[in-house]
Parts: sequence; C-alpha cells; structure tokens
Amino acid sequence: MYVLKDEHISFILEDIRRNGIESEELQLDLLDHICCVIETEMLPDKNFDEFYRSIIPRFYKRELKEIQEETQLLLTFKNYYAMKKVMIMSGAFSAFTFIIGSLLKIMHWPGASLLLLTGIVFFCFLFLPILSILKVKEQKQSKDKLLIGIATIFAIAICLATLFKVMHWPFASMLWSSSLGILFFLFLPIYFFGGIRNPETKTNTIISSILILTAGGLLFILTNLRASHVTEEAVFNSDDQLRASYAYLSEQKSSDSLSENQQLLIKKADALCLKIENLKVGLIKSITPDGKEMAENEAIRLFSNKFDPVQSYLFAENGQASTELASIKKELAELQKLVQENTADKECSLISTENIHRSDYKNQTLSWEEFYFKGLPMENVFRNFNQLLVNIRIVVVSNN
Amino acid sequence: MYSSELVKGTLKTIILKLLSESDKMYGYEITQKVKDLTGGKIQLTEGALYPTLHAMEAQGILTTDVVNVGNRIRKYYSVTQTGKKVATEKVNEFSDFIDTMIFLLDLKPKMG
Repeated sequence: MYVLKDEHISFILEDIRRNGIESEELQLDLLDHICCVIETEMLPDKNFDEFYRSIIPRFYKRELKEIQEETQLLLTFKNYYAMKKVMIMSGAFSAFTFIIGSLLKIMHWPGASLLLLTGIVFFCFLFLPILSILKVKEQKQSKDKLLIGIATIFAIAICLATLFKVMHWPFASMLWSSSLGILFFLFLPIYFFGGIRNPETKTNTIISSILILTAGGLLFILTNLRASHVTEEAVFNSDDQLRASYAYLSEQKSSDSLSENQQLLIKKADALCLKIENLKVGLIKSITPDGKEMAENEAIRLFSNKFDPVQSYLFAENGQASTELASIKKELAELQKLVQENTADKECSLISTENIHRSDYKNQTLSWEEFYFKGLPMENVFRNFNQLLVNIRIVVVSNN
Repeated sequence: MYSSELVKGTLKTIILKLLSESDKMYGYEITQKVKDLTGGKIQLTEGALYPTLHAMEAQGILTTDVVNVGNRIRKYYSVTQTGKKVATEKVNEFSDFIDTMIFLLDLKPKMG
C-alpha cells in the first residue's frame, strides 16, 4: 500500500478546488476517495504525479466540476418540485378566494373581507415570494435577479395597499404611493436602461416600458379617487344649509309666558348645544396643524375624507366613546326624558339615544355613538352633529 | 459492465440497501463493495455516487459522520430511520419492477 504524504494530500485538495469543486463537503468526499484509490491501487515504485493524472479522468466525462453541478442540480430539484407545487396551489387558492371575495365585496355581502384578506395574504406571502425565488434561480445575471426582486417587492406592496384601501386600514395611501414610487423610480429605470443597450432586446424593452408606464399611470390616477367636485360641492352646500337652519332655530325668541319646565328645557338645550359646538371646535383644532381654530365649513372642505384623527378624538383606544361624547349622550338622554315628562311629545324620537338596529347592513345593532360617529370621515361626523343640533332646537321650539 | 443508464435508475436503491445492511460506509468503500458483490459487473461512478449521496443527505434519508483518518478527514454515511423505510420501499418497488420486466420481455428466470 502506498503511503500518502501531507504534501500529496494538500496537492490533491488544491487540485480539486482549482477544478471548480467549491462545496467543502464534496471536497472532503473526493479527497478521501482519491486518496483511497491511490493507496490501494498505486504500486510503491510508481510516480505520484503520473498516477494521479491517470486516475482523475475516472471522476468525470468532461471536467471535474460536473460532480458539483450534478450535486447542486439534485439538491435544488428536490426543493424545486416542492416549491413549484406550493406555488401553484397557493396561487390557485388565492385566485379563487380573491375572485369570490371581490364578488361578495361589490355585492356588499358578508364574508367579503375575510376572503379578500386570505386571498391577498396567500398571494403576497406565499405565491409571489416562491415565484420570485424560482425565477431568480433561473436567471444568470445579477441585474436580472435584482429586477425580479424589485418587481416582487412592488407587486407585494401594491397588493397590500389595495387590501388596506379596501379594508379602510391606516397607511393605505402611503403604501399605495410608495409602491408606485418603486415602480416608476426604481424598477422602470433599471429595466429600461438595462434592456435598451442590448440590440436584441431593445424593441421589446421599449414596448414593455410603455406598457408598464401606462399601467402604472392608470394606477396612479386612482391614487386619490374622490367624488367629482360638483358632488362634493353639493354635499358642502347642504352642510351649509344645515348650519343655517340651526342658526335660524337658535335665534328664535321664546315667548315671555313660559312655564318653569319650559324654561328649564330651554336652559338644558342651550347648555347641550354649547357642549356639542365646543366639541366640534375641539375636533377641528385637533386636526389643523398647530391646533389653530378654523371656520367649520373651511375645515370640512380642507379635511374631508379624514378618518383617523376624527375617530381618535371621539373614541378611546378601547373603542368606547370619549368622555366628552359620552357626556353629550347622557345629557341628550336627560333632555329627551324632560321633554317626554313635561310635554305632549311622549316619544321624542328626534333626540333618542337608544341603540339602532340596522337590518339593511349586516343585521347589526349599534349604539347611538357607533351609529352616528364611528368609522366615519370628518364630513359625515360633522353632518351628524349638525343634524343633532337642529333636532334639539326643533324639539325645543316645537314644545314651546 | 452494465450501461450507465441501467445503473442510474437503481443507484439510490443500491446505496440504500448497502448502507442499511452495514453500520456506516464511506464513498470509496461503497464503490468497492458494489464492485466486489457484482464481480465488477456494476461499477458506480464517482460522478453519480456523490451527488446522490448529498441529495439523500439533504432529504434526511442519510446522515454523515466525520472521522479523522491519518492525515485527512473521512465522511461516513449511514441511513436514518426514515432512510430504512425508504430502503425497504425502494427494494420492494424494484423487485416488483423486475417481475414486471420478466413478464413484459418474456424472460425465463435462470434457476439455481
């Protein structure tokens, strides 16, 4: 048996590395294997270099690197099939839930949110990442790998932004704008300038870039989709009219010969109206920058469609009405009781604070504050406060 | 010697069967054992052996042990519990395959 020296072993290992075997595990396997072959098959009087060169070709057809490539192929293939299977299944599942979910959504039927949420989550966090990984593996140039990575981030971001918008979750618009930013300022330049340099891909790159730009532009148009100006103005005008009605009713002079109860009613109504007006002022201050005061109609025009600041002013984090709103509700109930006890209006439903059952939508029963103020944008909240003020005045005026 | 196409399809079965019958083996040992047992009719090539060993290790069918042998490191391969099941399945499948081939090609099995 030939005894290998340390320098022989170092030489063999170095040769294996030089011939493209990068995996350390494979290096160890091959080193031991070659050593075994030499130790058992080489006669002691033979020349090491010559013998080594004669046995090495057994290990490959063209070059030694083949073993490494074959190993990598087998390793990735095992995952490749599993990943492809998961990708197709998750893709089919999310497409199905997405189609059904969006159908339920446009019909305003229950279950829409859950299906949309499931569909988009599966699409964004299973289908798209696996697709991206498989596509990246297929690409040889790092530029193409980078492009696929950016495209995946864009796709995930725009899907999530759509989900957030549909669910009325916070930061939806920010997510939407950032994903379009990724498309226009990151993906498109890299794609366009990368592809245009190569004469073979030049035409396709230009056409695809125009398509991407157009599609992105169409999405960008939807960024701040609102009602037309005419409709918005009409809403603001009817708000103005409501405020005018309230002002008119507030200025009605009561006759001098009022009973004690009627005077008490007026006093209570005045106090309550003042409270509501103060709350509106506080709300506007909480929205405006630096907390400055602003005329109500101006504020509504400026901050219409605002949800979050209005909601956090009216409701505590646990979803209960804020102290101010709760005290308004309490006083409103007292006022209603006073009217019922002392006047002919035994129902006094105009200023009722009872729970409201909505048979038209999800068959829910909502509390007074939830029905009139929860989850609504600025303009609707103010509209409902103004309607309430008018109702209070109507009840008082009609009972004098 | 059989053609490499024939050996390729049964390589996994051969390795698993050999390894499940012994405690642990290293690559060279596997090739020699197959050569001895078949009288040189089947010779595993290194280019096919190691990729298969590594793939089976990644699948959890095989496990490895590293031992210092003189001035180098030797990797011993052995079958895991899952590997033993896979070995039985593979051998059964192949036995069934042979029966089918005998029938299909109308071969008369050599007796004795």
